[in-house]
Amino acid sequence: MQLEETQREFFSLKTFKEQLGAHRLSLSFQGMFSQDVLSLIGHTLKNAPDSRILSKRLFGLVVEMAQNIHHYSAEKVFSEKEQRDIGIGVVAIGESEEHHIICSGNYVENNVVEPMIERANYINQLSPEELKQFYKEQRRAPQRKNKPGANLGFIEMVRKSVNPIDVRVEQVDDKLSFFTLTVRVNKNI
Amino acid sequence: MENFHIESSTYIPRIDFDANTNVLEIEGESYHEYTIEFFQPVFEWLKEYLSSPEREITFNFKMSYFNTSSSRRFLEILTMLEDYQTDSNGKVTINWYYEESDIDMLESGEEYADDVNIKFNLIPVTA
Repeated sequence: MQLEETQREFFSLKTFKEQLGAHRLSLSFQGMFSQDVLSLIGHTLKNAPDSRILSKRLFGLVVEMAQNIHHYSAEKVFSEKEQRDIGIGVVAIGESEEHHIICSGNYVENNVVEPMIERANYINQLSPEELKQFYKEQRRAPQRKNKPGANLGFIEMVRKSVNPIDVRVEQVDDKLSFFTLTVRVNKNI
Repeated sequence: MENFHIESSTYIPRIDFDANTNVLEIEGESYHEYTIEFFQPVFEWLKEYLSSPEREITFNFKMSYFNTSSSRRFLEILTMLEDYQTDSNGKVTINWYYEESDIDMLESGEEYADDVNIKFNLIPVTA
C-alpha cells in the first residue's frame, strides 16, 4: 500500500522505536511468514543468552504461531518462490519482569472465531496429564481434510509455555476479525 | 532396492535409509510448513522397503527439534513399523537420541514409546 506524503509524516520511526523499547520487544515481524523468515527468527532466538531449553521452547512457540499464520490467516499473498498463497500476520517477542511473551496477530474469518475460542478455553483448563493425553489422542486422529496443520498447535503452546494461552478477537467487519494470541513463558523454568 | 537420502537444511532433517544394513536414520530439525508433501517420498520409500518381510531394522532418531506437524508424520512412520512387526515378522528397534539436558526431547521419546508397541531405547547424548 502506497502511503500519501501527508500520511507518511504520521509514521515516526522514533515513536515506533520508543514503543518497541517501552514494551521490551526484541523482535517483531510483519508480513509473509515464509520458511526463510522462520529460519532467521530461529537463528536469532537460538543465539539468545537464555538457557538452551528455554531458547528452544521460545523458538518452538514461534514456529507454531508463524505456521498458524502461514496456513490460516485470512489475509494472503501469492509467493513466487513457493508458488502458492501464504498468510500474512505479525509476530512479536517481548518480555516482562517474569515472562518471555510471544504474540501473534492475523485476520481470520468470523466463522472460525467461535470454535477457536472454545478450543483454546477447553485446552486452557486441562491439567498437564490431561494435556498430554489430549495431545496423543489428537495426534492419532486422522489428518483434517484440506488442512496442512496437525491440529496440535494450541495444545503444544500450553504444554511448552506451561501457562494458559490468551486469545483475543476484535471483529473488523461482517467477514473478518483480528485474532491475537499471546503466550507467556516463565523466565525461571 | 536403492537407499534413500535427503540432505538437511535449516528446516528439514537429514534422512538416510539404508536398505542393505537396515539402519534408518533421521537427524536434525524438522519444521517444514508442508510436512505431508515433504514426507511423501519418505513414506513411498518405506512402503516398498517394508514389503520385504523379516527385516531386522534399527531406526535412529537424532532429532534436536521438530514441529507438531512433523510429530504427526513421525507417529505415522512408527505405526508403519509397528504394523511391520506384527504383519511381516519384522524386528524393529528405535534408538531415540536426545541431548542430555533436553527434557522436552526426552519426553517426546517417552510419549512415542508409550504410543507404539516397539522396542524403544532412550539414549542421552552429552552436548
